[in-house]
Amino acid sequence: MSDLLMPYVLMIVVAFLPTEMWRSLAVYLSRGLNEGSQFIVWIRAVATALLTGVVAKLMLAPTGELALVPLWGRAGSILIAFAAFFILKRNVIGAVLAGEAVLIAAAYFSGAHFNF
Amino acid sequence: MDDAATETAALSRARWWALFGKGAFDALCFPAWMIALALFGVGSLARDVGHPIGAAMASTLFVWAGPAQVIFYGGLAANVPLPTIALAICLSSLRFLPMTMAFLPLLRGPTTTRFTELLAAHYISITVWTESLRRLPHMPRRERVPYYFGFANACIGLTTLSTGVGYLLVGAVPGPVAAGLLAVTPIFFTISLTAGARIPADWIALALGFLLEPIALVVLGPGFDLMGVGLVGGTIAFFVGGAIERRRA
Repeated sequence: MSDLLMPYVLMIVVAFLPTEMWRSLAVYLSRGLNEGSQFIVWIRAVATALLTGVVAKLMLAPTGELALVPLWGRAGSILIAFAAFFILKRNVIGAVLAGEAVLIAAAYFSGAHFNF
Repeated sequence: MDDAATETAALSRARWWALFGKGAFDALCFPAWMIALALFGVGSLARDVGHPIGAAMASTLFVWAGPAQVIFYGGLAANVPLPTIALAICLSSLRFLPMTMAFLPLLRGPTTTRFTELLAAHYISITVWTESLRRLPHMPRRERVPYYFGFANACIGLTTLSTGVGYLLVGAVPGPVAAGLLAVTPIFFTISLTAGARIPADWIALALGFLLEPIALVVLGPGFDLMGVGLVGGTIAFFVGGAIERRRA
């Protein structure tokens, strides 16, 4: 019984609660704040910088199979996707596909030793 | 700002569900697939540590944060002590604080209950956040809640299924495609954030996040780097962006 429940209990205590506490805390801390207030503009800038930081981190310190793709392929996929977004007149799908094409091609042609 | 009368007038039940359906449809037209593909690999990580498929899918439903789920199952696989895993997850999920704080004022109306807000906050993930910040401001305030819940439920539902499929298909994905799946997150976030940038502060924050992270990774280390990048980059972006807007005005 306890062996059966353990994966769920661990997930709730070790992963769910430490994540959910920030979302719940935000509900209380954001009470009374107006959509257009300067504080919200600042918070949004903090969140945006943090999120592009996440992108940079995922590409600079990659995990799993992504680590086998050379840096030029990882950085190139982001730059090409960004450029494609504007070239394709703000097309999100086209931009993501362009970036993915660069990354998968880089993985395929770089001679990295993937396990097939 | 909306007219106070229209804002408090309740939506009919049919209209509420129509908006819910529209949100779900819009999510399934593309963004939901991005996060579903991104969390595909979580299933295989859960299987590697011997957890059942139900726990893997429940982790998506409850935790709803790719990096936290990767730290959780990766940490268990590497026999990292549980308190250490919990602390690492706590730090990596800190981003939800500024994200949720910036989001809720968009959703909140005069009749929004605390329970609705807590529930809405649970669905916040990077995909749901960037897409909502882009879509909701253009909608009448009272239509935002049903649209948001439709959108967010479609994202979390599809991704819970994809976590299960990833669990079953472990090892069947060729290497370059697996690398491509891991890259869905950074590529889509970049484009989604770019598409959502409206004011100068957004653009500056976007650029500073990229530029400061390599420095922060070295100076602050892998635990506190993102917090530093967010606070320093976001604050610079706020002041410089504000100065640019004042000069334009």
